[in-house]
Amino acid sequence: MTPTRDVFQAIADPTRRQIIGMLAGKSLNVNAIAKEFDITRQAVSLHVQFLNDCGLITIRQQGRERYCEAQFEKLNEVTDWVNQYRKYWDNQLDSLESYLAKIQKSKP
Amino acid sequence: MEQYNTFKQEDNIIIHTRLLDAPRDLVWEVWTNPAHIKEWWGPNGFSLTTKSMTVEPGQTWDFIMHGMGRDWDNVIEYVAVKKPSLLSYKHSGAKSEEYNFIVSVLFEEMEGKTLLTMKSVFKSKAIIDELNRKVNAIEGGKQTLNRLTDYVKTLVEL
Repeated sequence: MTPTRDVFQAIADPTRRQIIGMLAGKSLNVNAIAKEFDITRQAVSLHVQFLNDCGLITIRQQGRERYCEAQFEKLNEVTDWVNQYRKYWDNQLDSLESYLAKIQKSKP
Repeated sequence: MEQYNTFKQEDNIIIHTRLLDAPRDLVWEVWTNPAHIKEWWGPNGFSLTTKSMTVEPGQTWDFIMHGMGRDWDNVIEYVAVKKPSLLSYKHSGAKSEEYNFIVSVLFEEMEGKTLLTMKSVFKSKAIIDELNRKVNAIEGGKQTLNRLTDYVKTLVEL
């Protein structure tokens, strides 16, 4: 899959942030990650795939298990303050844009 | 529409523009009505509670953002309010007065759409340079998890 997703999208979601945090110390398989959450294993698996697509983690097949490992160099995309600010407002304005679209559509 | 989505830094000012497919009055409304603003303001995955909002010069928007397992208090002080064309506000949350900056949001009509221009004006270019250096230092020096938390914190405090 082409990595059209970026690190900012990856860390925008609380579950994914938590997964990254769990992988900061050690590599884990999907089952071990899923145990820590109340959501289904399938949902966790999708988050893991998302992180993989962003290049924030890699998935390594070991026997029958798939182990996830963090690739934190990717977080360096979060560079200087102006860049963070830019990204932040880009996301905010995206959010504003889609909200405006939504409320205009729902009008009779 | 893409050519209207721009970003640039000019000395001590950071400028964002965005052409929005909505009438100006509505865009003004979603910036100044608590019921609307909570639907789009703040990092993804966060929710927002407005304690009070008085969109008048010298008055404030006092709100709490909920996310990452805690509450984040925020206050924005309105500096200039000219419905429906200009909204300007100051963040008073910064630790030092030096880092406070004023954001002016211009709403212009453009063939039924609205051109939004956000100008974030800092005390000096040196302040922006300093923020850049600080963030770089944080990025370079800390544990990944702390970095993530700090990063999200910078987003919340913007």
